[in-house]
Amino acid sequence: MRKYFPIFMTLMVVVVAAYFVVNQKKEALNIEKISEKKKQFLGTFTKQKKCAVPPKFLTQMKIPQPVIIDLSQKRFKGIALHYGKDFSKTLHPKLWEQYEHFSTYAVDTQGNIYLVPTPFISILPTTFNLQKNIYKLDSKTGKISIFMHFDDVHPTANNPYGLNAITYDCDDGTLWVASIDESDYQSQKGVIYHVNPQTKEILQKFEGVDALSMTLLKSEKGKFLLLGSARDNGLYAYPIIKNKLENTPIKIISLPHANEHIRKIKIINKNTLELQSIPFSYTLIAQTAKEDRIYYTIMWDVLKKMWSIKGKK
Amino acid sequence: MTKEIKISIAIFIIAMLVMLVYWFMPQSSLALKQVSLTEVEEKVILPQYENTVYQNIPSVKAYLFELKALIKEGKSILPLPSAELDSDAQKVQDFLLTQPAFLKDTKQGEVLLHNDMMRILPAIISSMNEKTQKICDTHTCYQAEKYNFVSNVTTRAIVDVTEMKLLTIQNYPNMQPDISYRLAGIAKDIALYAPEVKKELGFTPSKKDITMANVRGSMKESPCENTTHLCVAPTFTDHKKEQALWAVVDLTELRFAAAKWAGLGKTTTPACISERSLQNRFIMKNYCQKDTFLEKNGWKITYRLTGSDGLEIRDVTFQGSPVLKSAKIVDWHVSYQQKGAQSLDTSTQTYIEGREVEFIRGEDDAYMFGYNDAMGCPMFSTSVVLPFNGPQVKELNTSNGFMLTQDFRNPKWPMACNYRYENRFEFYDNGSFRVVGVNKGRGCGDKAIYRPVMRIDMAVDSKETFWKMSNNTWKVMKHEFKEKVLDTRPYNYKITSHTSIEKGYYIESNHGQFGDNSRGDNATLFVSTFKPEEGAQDLLTLGSCCKLEEEGVERYVDDNVSIVEEDLVLWYVPRIRNDAREGSEYCWADTIIGIDGNVQIKVWPCTVGPKFIPIKGAH
Repeated sequence: MRKYFPIFMTLMVVVVAAYFVVNQKKEALNIEKISEKKKQFLGTFTKQKKCAVPPKFLTQMKIPQPVIIDLSQKRFKGIALHYGKDFSKTLHPKLWEQYEHFSTYAVDTQGNIYLVPTPFISILPTTFNLQKNIYKLDSKTGKISIFMHFDDVHPTANNPYGLNAITYDCDDGTLWVASIDESDYQSQKGVIYHVNPQTKEILQKFEGVDALSMTLLKSEKGKFLLLGSARDNGLYAYPIIKNKLENTPIKIISLPHANEHIRKIKIINKNTLELQSIPFSYTLIAQTAKEDRIYYTIMWDVLKKMWSIKGKK
Repeated sequence: MTKEIKISIAIFIIAMLVMLVYWFMPQSSLALKQVSLTEVEEKVILPQYENTVYQNIPSVKAYLFELKALIKEGKSILPLPSAELDSDAQKVQDFLLTQPAFLKDTKQGEVLLHNDMMRILPAIISSMNEKTQKICDTHTCYQAEKYNFVSNVTTRAIVDVTEMKLLTIQNYPNMQPDISYRLAGIAKDIALYAPEVKKELGFTPSKKDITMANVRGSMKESPCENTTHLCVAPTFTDHKKEQALWAVVDLTELRFAAAKWAGLGKTTTPACISERSLQNRFIMKNYCQKDTFLEKNGWKITYRLTGSDGLEIRDVTFQGSPVLKSAKIVDWHVSYQQKGAQSLDTSTQTYIEGREVEFIRGEDDAYMFGYNDAMGCPMFSTSVVLPFNGPQVKELNTSNGFMLTQDFRNPKWPMACNYRYENRFEFYDNGSFRVVGVNKGRGCGDKAIYRPVMRIDMAVDSKETFWKMSNNTWKVMKHEFKEKVLDTRPYNYKITSHTSIEKGYYIESNHGQFGDNSRGDNATLFVSTFKPEEGAQDLLTLGSCCKLEEEGVERYVDDNVSIVEEDLVLWYVPRIRNDAREGSEYCWADTIIGIDGNVQIKVWPCTVGPKFIPIKGAH
């Protein structure tokens, strides 16, 4: 029996060493995981100064600030502006209805309002064509016109949406516009266009992502396009390096329910965002009631090194 | 050096080499095996049985019995059994059940609403405000939570047990609490009883096969029915295959709601299961992305869900002979009649419950308003009314055939201005079939007129002839036409092959003879020649909701175009008036609070549609 002692001892040493190695490896992987989480951090950011100014025609019409831009399509088709005490007065010229319904807007440093369309409940013969344009409510004249037409946007009965999200870049006066018309159940084929509004030149066409909402964020780590997905319940940050959108998205957070999608993103405080979600399924199902909207505040928790989420109806 | 020492050195060197390789092996290749194991296909299972089957489960039966007895006694909060309470919690429960503030939302007028006490436990610091915390530093405090199943509101009370005093009370609308052990047990029983779950697992499961369900609170956060119900998800885990079956149980309706297979890995574990999203995925994958084939009682049917034309049946044969190329309901026109056209302001668009409303002025100060409802796939479509649960095959009550049916609902039905439609195709053992539209209300009020637009493309022959009964003789129709369907019995029309008048179908319009409480079709019939652009693919909204003199199909009919020996398409548009009068409701739905304090939906459907009877063998 004694002659097997060296083998027995060697096996013992190997088992102990293996135990040690496996545990060390696990620990190393955990450290990697923690640093993965750290990657979700976009760097410290604060509420950013807005560069938008109110449309000049409001001053001419002696309409006082503040003004609410109403695209809810509940009472007014197109765009309506509410002002005065309790926002009880409304400006809604009939001409503001001519391009049907809008989903969201961006305001530039001159007070021009850029609008993107949305199909709403009923499909009319004109509906699909209207989804191919960005519209501009002119700051001086107060008139709405087609600002830019996109030939490569093709809404159909299988996906009635076209251009659907927009945000204004205060750094260089450009627009970021999203469309989701090419997407179907199997694949995400949305496009983000980076547009120079002066020349109407497309500076970048970024393909393969369906955005339902977009906001620009600047932090100590750089510049990001925050994107609420039309596809899932996630909020993503796409780095912008040298004015180009990089295809290295960081998933910041998933909302608690699978069928809610982020429709609005606001930077409200230091390292804090407010998100507004709606159900969305690329159909015309009317889920626009107040109870369909859920508000969340998400905040970078410095101690836990992760995003925390707090919901409110 | 002995042989044993040599072996030891060899073992040591090999082990060191293996450990070295392991240490430097990248994480991705280590994880590869794990990922491939966890990449389980996310299969979705929807309920196939009526909700009533679950009411015979002993624990459900006892729960409902207790609930009815409670409501009968004039109480509305089902207390926690003493087994779930310590002595202080028992005192808190007894105290709260007498507190008006705690009972405040348990009634709707004089009607008692179903509430359950969910849990009573020592107060948790995060549930208290500063003032309460100070009191509870020196006193014993408990927190109690109840849930109102009708209003979907959770109420939390903090009680000072030392002084037996109610400190705070707070309502949380649209939020569901952690559930009681009793309800957790009921959820498990429902999941265990569900035939769909047994079938998926391949064996009859027992309580020991359920993981998580015993842990209080682990099953919440599983929204179903748009998060307005209390739902939980007991889980059956198969560790060998690294997958789990998540069964969503709706405790508001005490039923199995949906289930999903998912891997146990982080990438596929459903952090949140929602009945709606499961339904959407199941329906999209199985009925919108591909055709489904059904063979039954001599019938062969291909069917699919369309983007806006509801459930479509295609390439239907009976005993090998072609019957239909396609049949579907392309639209439901909904219009309401009102007085006051003079004062009607149509200068701006009007919306009711988020829908754009169309107005048409009529005579005598009357006007019509309404909209067109498209039914179709739950994603990537122009549908405004959603399919629920996928197409179902059911036996006919008359036991002489079967039906293929699809339920479409607005998510908030039967609330006002929300709709529910059924697309149904009945197939009889003698080769007859019926295209059926069912409206289940509720709409925006009474005086509604519903008009489903049915498109029926027969496959009698490549060239067909259409006949009309006139003065007891069959007359060949020569040109495309539109006409009000006359109540000529037994058959108004027939369609035959151009080569044989024996080969074809009689068309029997519905005047209430089919035993479904229908008040008749009052339909308009259009016959046109087949053109691919006229509805062979999805049709978008067709015509006006509210011009009652038009059905929308007029654009496809030209009375100069011959229909003799042509490939024909029939358009059949019934016209139904709803009725909300008590005792004679029709196309209507209502909600009442039942004897168990829960919401009950009462439906008075209206059923329309023509029947097609084979000429050969008809009598």
